[in-house]
Amino acid sequence: MDVRAQIVMVFNLDKCIGCHTCSISCKNIWTDRKGAEYMWWNNVETKPGVGYPRQWEDQERFKGGWVVDGKKLKLKAMGKGPTLANMFFQPNMPKIEDYYEPFDFDYGNLAGAKESKDQPVAEAFSQISGKKIEEIQGGPNWDDDLSGSQVYAAKDLNLKDKKVIESYDSMFMQYLPRICNHCLNPACVASCPSRALYKRGEDGIVLVDQEVCKGWRFCTSACPYKKVYFNWNTGKAEKCIFCYPRVETGQCNACAHSCVGRIRYVGVLLYDADAVEAAALKGDAELVEAHRDVILDPRDPEVCRKAKENGISDQWLDAAAASPVYALVKEYRVALPLHPEFRTLPMAYYIPSLSPVLSTWGDTHKLLEHGMIPALETLRVPIGYLASLLSGGNHAVIEEALKKLIAIRVQMRSENLGLPADPQLLADAGLDEAAAKRLYRLFTVAGYNERNVIPPQQREENDPEKRRQEGGFGILKKTRGGGK
Amino acid sequence: MLNDLIFIALPYAAIALVLLVTPYRFLSNRLTWSAYSTQFLERKILYWGINPWHYGILPILLAHVLGFAFPGFFKGFLGNQQTLFATESVLFGLGAFALFGVLLLLLRRVNSGMLKRVTFSSDWLVLYLLAFQAGTGIYIGYFMRWGSQWYLHTAVPYLWSIVSFRPQIEYVADLPLAFKLHVACAFLIVAVLPFTKLVHMLYLPVDFLKDPPLLYRWRSNKQ
Repeated sequence: MDVRAQIVMVFNLDKCIGCHTCSISCKNIWTDRKGAEYMWWNNVETKPGVGYPRQWEDQERFKGGWVVDGKKLKLKAMGKGPTLANMFFQPNMPKIEDYYEPFDFDYGNLAGAKESKDQPVAEAFSQISGKKIEEIQGGPNWDDDLSGSQVYAAKDLNLKDKKVIESYDSMFMQYLPRICNHCLNPACVASCPSRALYKRGEDGIVLVDQEVCKGWRFCTSACPYKKVYFNWNTGKAEKCIFCYPRVETGQCNACAHSCVGRIRYVGVLLYDADAVEAAALKGDAELVEAHRDVILDPRDPEVCRKAKENGISDQWLDAAAASPVYALVKEYRVALPLHPEFRTLPMAYYIPSLSPVLSTWGDTHKLLEHGMIPALETLRVPIGYLASLLSGGNHAVIEEALKKLIAIRVQMRSENLGLPADPQLLADAGLDEAAAKRLYRLFTVAGYNERNVIPPQQREENDPEKRRQEGGFGILKKTRGGGK
Repeated sequence: MLNDLIFIALPYAAIALVLLVTPYRFLSNRLTWSAYSTQFLERKILYWGINPWHYGILPILLAHVLGFAFPGFFKGFLGNQQTLFATESVLFGLGAFALFGVLLLLLRRVNSGMLKRVTFSSDWLVLYLLAFQAGTGIYIGYFMRWGSQWYLHTAVPYLWSIVSFRPQIEYVADLPLAFKLHVACAFLIVAVLPFTKLVHMLYLPVDFLKDPPLLYRWRSNKQ
């Protein structure tokens, strides 16, 4: 048992209102630079929808993630030999059209235009070529709220039955916020010929060393979530850094901190690094359970002993024990990994959404079964859709989580209205009253310090001289072409 | 005079620049150390340019280096007429392939609006030098036959005399102008290497081949 710590984010999809505040705060801090305009380290997608970049889930096209080859894992794209042979032209790399041509508007024209009969307008221009764009062809959330669209939503690979979105009686919509998953088995790291990508041992954050990266671009397609971007100005790869300058000092990530719906939880998980590969080798349907098995109980004295041997501090162990992430992922089993079948063991977890809390139209009257909340079987969101997204196709995993969410809603609703509770519903969902209270609190009124339990890393105490050299952040040296 | 410039001044200047500027650039600002791929912005023409270029030029570069390193072996190897003929043909074909690639890369930069903001004077310099070098190479290959053979008896001893700091330009001084231009351009390419994106060729992915797939970095050396 090789105990390591990982800092993890959980998203409660039921509460995401798709406001993109997270994306904007991330952009303002990290990617408001030349070459990074199209990068959205954090983005929010409408589901069903094609996402960003378009069709990122299509691994037959981008060849991201891992596949099981006999009893071993291998990168879906290619092995080491073909990697070297494809260095000059990387066949799977997404192109700018898969994202969008970043644009800005010529606001100067509003004040500076010559006098004329017409009102001056701020025309769009490309932030790459500088040329005028007659018609903007795309954006980071181009299919926002178009969950019934035959152009976008129908192309969602998770949507097996396209009929669902053709009728107002059955269509549904949810949001899916995404950051880099800081995977336990990151395909981007494995694909890098320069060895520029690495996973930090202490907190599991996956980073690109800008000094080492030479722009060979294999990471951009090896990441099955398309969360490594190529900076066209600096010629290097960039990705979400989990706001490490903030997290290291115990502050919450910008995206989580600014979240209007308070849907995000940040905390520590302890995991067994020796068990990662075996977990990734499991069949699609067993992957969620395999994820949970890799995660260790921070209250287990044996785990704590081994963790200390590996240099994990008491402060981190306390944080792991108080971690909302541990409660949601392992203890109450409501948070699930996004596309576990990509086999990178993503360390961002999603609580599946009941939204819209509606049944299909014909079944409206069955709503009364639990007051206002439909039973699992009549829920409008197709279980198969969520299973394709969050459990490698395993329906039972989704049903278990949704049952809990429904039971908590029914329980708390009856409590608030002074109606008799139905303890059987809770018991069937695998919860007791205390668990329901705890989850209810986490889902609703939990404050900043309950939602985010982030132990500072006290780097000032760890090799202070070295730390001082690294103090501060930002790129002080010029990249080619400058940029701000 | 021209001979002294091309065969003595230029090589030593080039070697000095590579040996001094390359480590300086590596140590001072590695943020500029990249191949500066433009595949993200334009990939259709790139495919037909970049692959012929690299797959053409790398074996040819290797042939030049191996001929320089093991002249004795290759003198024997190319002593057989059939072998010489086959070698010449293959290298000429690869050279034509590389020239086709680099010309396409040059035209691509001229024509693509998307690439304007990522094309700097150093990119033009490199492309022109490489196209010129491939062009003169092809010219020499066609009009000054059996170069793989006479290279070993002229340029190789001259290059050895350069690296052993006893320059003997009489090995190459009387060769035609095309050859002199080819040599001059070669040294120019070496000279501009540390200043341009050509530094990308100084990297061999040895660690990638031997490392386990996942790379961890620990802050302290505890683990």
